[in-house]
Amino acid sequence: MYQKALLGIVLFPLIGAIANGVFGRKAGRNVVHAVAVLSVACSFALALYAFGSLLHLRYGQGEEAASITYTAYEWFSLSLNHRTLSIPVRFVMDSLSGVMTLVVTGIGLLIHIYSTGYMSEEPSYARFFAYLNLFTASMLILILGSSLPVMFVGWEGVGVCSYLLIGFWYENPNYAAAGRKAFVANRIGDFGVILGMFLLATAANSLEFTDINELAHVRPTQFTSALALGPQGAPFWVIPSISLATAATLFLFLGCTGKSAQLPLYVWLPDAMAGPTPVSALIHAATMVTSGIYLVCRLSPVFALAPATMAVMAIIGAVTALMAASVGLVQNDIKKILAYSTVSQLGFMFAAVGCGAFAAGFMHVYTHAFFKACLFLGAGSVMHAVGAHGDADIRTLGGLRKYMPLTNVTFLVSCLAIAGVPLFSGFFSKDEILVGVLSSAGYFSFAPWLAPTVFGMLVLGATMTAFYMFRLYFLTFSGEFRGGPVHETHAPAAGAHGDHGDHEDERHDHDAAHDHDHGHAHHEPHESPPSMTIPLIVLGVGAVFAGYVWIGIVHFEPWVKWLEPSLGSIHAEHGHATPYIAMAFGLLAAVVGIGLAFQFYYKGSEVPAKLATQFGGLHRLLMDKWRVDELYDATVLAGSRGLARLCAAFDKYVVDGILTHVSSQAVASLSFLFTRFQTGLVHAYGAVMAVGLFFVAFHFVVPHADPAVVGDPTGLSVELAANQGLGYEYRWDFDADGRFDTEWSNDSKAEHAFSDADIVRFAVVFEGAGYGARPRTLVVAPKQEIKVSSGALTRIMTRGELSLDELGESWQRGEDAAAPLIKADEQGLLIKPRGARVRKAGAVQPADAEVRVSRGEHVSIGEARLSVSGYVKPRVQVRNAFGMERTESVGVVVPKVPPRITAEIAAVQGSK
Amino acid sequence: MDIELGYYLALSALIFGLGAIGFLVRRNVLVQLMSIELMLNSVNLMLVAFNRFLPDNHAGQLFAFFVIAVAAAEAAVGLAIVISMFRLKKTVHSDRADILRH
Repeated sequence: MYQKALLGIVLFPLIGAIANGVFGRKAGRNVVHAVAVLSVACSFALALYAFGSLLHLRYGQGEEAASITYTAYEWFSLSLNHRTLSIPVRFVMDSLSGVMTLVVTGIGLLIHIYSTGYMSEEPSYARFFAYLNLFTASMLILILGSSLPVMFVGWEGVGVCSYLLIGFWYENPNYAAAGRKAFVANRIGDFGVILGMFLLATAANSLEFTDINELAHVRPTQFTSALALGPQGAPFWVIPSISLATAATLFLFLGCTGKSAQLPLYVWLPDAMAGPTPVSALIHAATMVTSGIYLVCRLSPVFALAPATMAVMAIIGAVTALMAASVGLVQNDIKKILAYSTVSQLGFMFAAVGCGAFAAGFMHVYTHAFFKACLFLGAGSVMHAVGAHGDADIRTLGGLRKYMPLTNVTFLVSCLAIAGVPLFSGFFSKDEILVGVLSSAGYFSFAPWLAPTVFGMLVLGATMTAFYMFRLYFLTFSGEFRGGPVHETHAPAAGAHGDHGDHEDERHDHDAAHDHDHGHAHHEPHESPPSMTIPLIVLGVGAVFAGYVWIGIVHFEPWVKWLEPSLGSIHAEHGHATPYIAMAFGLLAAVVGIGLAFQFYYKGSEVPAKLATQFGGLHRLLMDKWRVDELYDATVLAGSRGLARLCAAFDKYVVDGILTHVSSQAVASLSFLFTRFQTGLVHAYGAVMAVGLFFVAFHFVVPHADPAVVGDPTGLSVELAANQGLGYEYRWDFDADGRFDTEWSNDSKAEHAFSDADIVRFAVVFEGAGYGARPRTLVVAPKQEIKVSSGALTRIMTRGELSLDELGESWQRGEDAAAPLIKADEQGLLIKPRGARVRKAGAVQPADAEVRVSRGEHVSIGEARLSVSGYVKPRVQVRNAFGMERTESVGVVVPKVPPRITAEIAAVQGSK
Repeated sequence: MDIELGYYLALSALIFGLGAIGFLVRRNVLVQLMSIELMLNSVNLMLVAFNRFLPDNHAGQLFAFFVIAVAAAEAAVGLAIVISMFRLKKTVHSDRADILRH
């Protein structure tokens, strides 16, 4: 029963999406959001039910690796390594996907509720909820899919929904461009996922996560053996020696950098804030962007087998965390800061899983989902309150604590959580990450510097996080209100790429509703409606308590134990003091960050401005987000634009210019030529016809002999026949000596017994290795040689030579590779075997012997058979009624050699 | 008095040649039709001559009648075409009947 719940979890949001997408335009707003919210609520309820069943299985019945599986149907099957690989649509809920499902449906539900308030004035209300439901369904497929292909369907689905929701206000070309940017960046990563999937399939013969992980435990060599990328012995910089696990996980990680916004593909996520704020909260903070971490955790046993990939992940994660945090220090738009904060936190998670602390990384996914969703929704609430609709500049805010107490409290709680203040959820997960990083030193034995470096970078990143989050908080909520966004001045303050340009035009309704006194410069902010504040409160509670569910005293034993069956592990060990060291540094980071922010922005110090002028270059660099977009513009984009221009030029000048023009000219000139024949004059056509008829008639008048052998004679006596015709007379010259042996006669047939004297040439019938080879006849005159050489068979055959390949693989008798010499004399062939294995009458002939093959005899060279017959070429002269004469000849093999199989059957029958 | 087959064939070939050349060199459609009649009749002559010298059956003579019947039909259709063409072009000059070219 509870298995079917898995299907319901996925199907409810999907049905909601279809219902709202198809019928939503006609339905009223109440119906639309009832359908949307109820579908996710049902999904959440079923998720709770399934998770409860899972808990029962695990703790009630003591199944260590408890999981719930529902197989819907077989999707497709394919043949791999000579085995059939079946891909069913199957959903699995285990300890890992269970937690993730709860997070997605739970936070998804809250954000759906929030959206009913936030988007209440949106004209495309149904479209928004259809997309949001579709996203939820895709995300659940991603999480619950039991195999890589099913997961990939969800992976692509969330990518599409992300694209649709970022570009939700597509009338604004900047927003549409942001959507495209996200889509393209994700596509680059997706290609990595596909390749990684193929590599894993070849190694594991399965695409099911459980099979792959099981194999990684049981038979790790299946993954750690080196990939055969090229000839052996090549230096490693030409053909790198890389294990299958490393290659596959690096490809998968490429996919994760796209989806989870890591270097170098993170650039889409800050721009993705062009979407509505609930979208930013759900997709671009809490759920979709963490699917990269989820994938790594899902395949963690395989990742654990690839230390190189793990090191790359740890470094990229740490660098991303640091870099994004540094950008967050100076930004002024709420959502921009939160976006870079998300990139930075995702970097933390990747640093954790890269250091083998899968449980810690995943715990941060879980806690981060609460406090970051809360932060985004709080930001949305603030923007809603002051009537800002693209983004809000924190320099124009301030003092909102007075006006929106609920938002203030939840925002503050989330800031404390993300900063890592003790007793808030973020503290636990961040602490766990730091412990995990320090513990991984043993795993990275090839780079002892790695774990401490990553640790240092993360601590620095955490300090920056605490600083910029409280800078954001103080500037927004403390002090006095500084007037809110004045739309005219807000627009120029938008991001450098215009990705947050104002969109008053298309959101006009929204404006009118919330900005009652739009004309007043100092418009009074107000608290948001309950549909928005209730989710904020729930998430705020989660931001505080989410960590408590799983904690032990100083270590997260319950959480780690819970996830243990689903996750791989590395050999990590830490000293007794390590957790306290990590905790101390974590605390220090939070205290220093918050303290500095308090000093600078709560008390209103001049230091930030001074620093900005003193380090003007660095400040501008950070304001411009390290100019990574500009760098990509100048390199990758310029390169691809250049390539596009090149292709366009090629199309214009080569395809259209040369190919099209030249071929059309060729056709035109030919048709011009042919139209000259098309005179339209009846007598011209008649003349051509008369000339043609003349030649046809001439062909019939000239005699044609076409002599041929009658029947299938095996002896020296051969019957020949020529064409019959009106008044034809024939005479024959059998021995081809130029003198005709018969008188003119009306009989078209003639019979002749050839004598040895007639035979002056030999037909050598050669049958190549294998019975399938078609025999071919070489005609040789005495003293003529048959060359045996290697090279292209067709060319050798047309030259009347023999190829070494035709002799079969074992034609050599030793190391000596000399080809046999074959020469004709008056009696037949003389073969000098040299390096070849020549058998005559069953006996192998010595290398320097002269093997004689007379007429009627045969030898074998290697696996090929060579037999010698006579060859004669009788001539016939034919004369017709007009006295016209013509002489033709026909080649005849005497005696005709039976083909190999016939000959060998005859030999076997003869011996019986 | 016996006349050899060769003379018949020679006469037939001569008439056929006259017809063919007449068809090719003359431009008057009526004359071209007459040339075609000449060729057909030369073939008739050849057929009955062969029949005369190979009298096993009457295939040659029979075939000549077929040719006469076909020639009559051909003349009827041909003359009708000529009349139509004259109505259209006010001429029976075959060079003028070249609209199919365009």
